[in-house]
Amino acid sequence: MNRKRILVIDDEASITRGIKLNLEALGTFEIRQVNHAPDAVQSALEFKPDLVLLDIVMPEMDGGEVAARLREIPSLKDTPIIFLTAIVSHEETQGGEAYIGGEDYLAKPVDLGTLVQAINNRLIN
Amino acid sequence: MLATMAVSLGMVLVVAIVDYLTGLEISVALLYLVPVCWGAWFGGRNAGLFVAAASAAAWLIHVMLLCGFIDHPWVLAWNTLTLGVSFALVAVLMATLALTQKNLEATVTKRSAKLREEVIERRQAEEQLRQVNAELQQAHMQLIEAAKMEMVGRMAAGVAHEVKNPLMILGMGTDYFLQHPVTSEAEAMLLQDMKDAVRRATHIINLMLDFSKPRPLHLVPEDLNTLVENSLDLVRHQFLKQGIEVVRELQADLPALPLDRTRMEHVFVNLFTNAAQAMPAGGTLTVRSSLQEVSGGSSDPGCRVMLEVEDTGPGIRPEHLPKIFEAFYTTKPPGQGTGLGLAIVRRILHIHGANIVLGNRSEGGARATLTFNPTPKSLP
Ligand SMILES: Nc1ncnc2c1ncn2[C@@H]1O[C@H](COP(=O)(O)OP(=O)(O)OP(=O)(O)O)[C@@H](O)[C@H]1O
Ligand SMILES: [Mg+2]
Repeated sequence: MNRKRILVIDDEASITRGIKLNLEALGTFEIRQVNHAPDAVQSALEFKPDLVLLDIVMPEMDGGEVAARLREIPSLKDTPIIFLTAIVSHEETQGGEAYIGGEDYLAKPVDLGTLVQAINNRLIN
Repeated sequence: MLATMAVSLGMVLVVAIVDYLTGLEISVALLYLVPVCWGAWFGGRNAGLFVAAASAAAWLIHVMLLCGFIDHPWVLAWNTLTLGVSFALVAVLMATLALTQKNLEATVTKRSAKLREEVIERRQAEEQLRQVNAELQQAHMQLIEAAKMEMVGRMAAGVAHEVKNPLMILGMGTDYFLQHPVTSEAEAMLLQDMKDAVRRATHIINLMLDFSKPRPLHLVPEDLNTLVENSLDLVRHQFLKQGIEVVRELQADLPALPLDRTRMEHVFVNLFTNAAQAMPAGGTLTVRSSLQEVSGGSSDPGCRVMLEVEDTGPGIRPEHLPKIFEAFYTTKPPGQGTGLGLAIVRRILHIHGANIVLGNRSEGGARATLTFNPTPKSLP
């Protein structure tokens, strides 16, 4: 079976590692981690992800800017992006998920079940 | 008046008889002063003068009966006149005295009535002052509390990022091991505990964050009873498990209230949860809604919608009562209560222009009384 490729971008390596370990253990995903935001575009071009998990608060370049750069690339224009963020409050995300300004947001810390569900939702649509 | 006259004249007659029986003894004539004074005092000046004249006449008659009047008619006339004038003078004096006395009494009565009124007025003013003072003090406390909450929110916003990332790392790690077979029951429990710990920490940081960025109120006319039912639905499972019976005394046809549905349900769920936590071995939760007329008083008149939530738990200890609305004040063991529940409840109610009072019922158990204004004057 063709495993879905997910690019995980977060400046904290321990977070991307945790996500990679969990998602790959499920057997249906292939994960590549990016911990240095400016490398994101290059990695995406090589990896051709089906979906991007993107942290918002990062040094050097924030998630919003990374998303904008990814969108500039024709082959990545329609790749779904799910933002991961530690700064939205519980109420804003209604206990985990939210849909703000046309993008998916997941509030950190997100548990595995919610994460997988959000990813599958975006991959089906 | 007539009775006074009759009594006076009767007395004159008695004195006249005594006078006659005692002969020409002049000192007995002084006894006429008794009916004269009586008549003047109780009957007024004219009555007094009349009795004085009658007395003088009675004296004249008794003298004439004893000695005949031919001997010294001028002396007799003179004597009668002086006696009559003396009696008249006493009558006038007595009547004036009586009048003065009466006026004085009336004045005193009027004055004391006025004084009583003033005392009552003063008491009312004092009561009002006390009330205003209490309200001020409460407002002051609320301000302090609000400032405290705002600081909590700001602090949370500042540290949220630093706390949530580590929590995410821990959560992911726990989730990973939870996917794998464990070697013992204890290991499984440890992992579950870790996951719960992450959830708990997340919950608190989220509550604190909500203070830093409260989303704007979304006020829509709502039926209070419906929101209560929705909230009861959310806790139904917990109630069933604990054997808590719910008694609804919801008044139909309440006016619609401008409420933020999500937040108001948050309030009710919090109150229901507190009640459930106070009744771990079961009990009765009563929810009562009603419409109350409010007239005059310190606040504006009109009608209010009241919601009461009562439980049959142990109630709140008097020494805890002043602190229960404070942020982070809890009597529950660590990990079971954040102490933010009621602080949030009050805050949400206040931004709705509503009010909450928590106290104990005389029958035992606690009672929360929420007061809503159907047409709040101003919302912050
Ligand atoms: N119905 C009640 N009966 C008895 N005590 C109560 C009741 N409601 C509140 N309290 C007291 O008020 C305290 C503060 O309540 P509050 O809801 O703010 O925090 P909590 O319930 O302890 O924590 P949390 O709401 O975060 O779970 C409680 O710890 C408890 O002592
Ligand atoms: Mg509580």
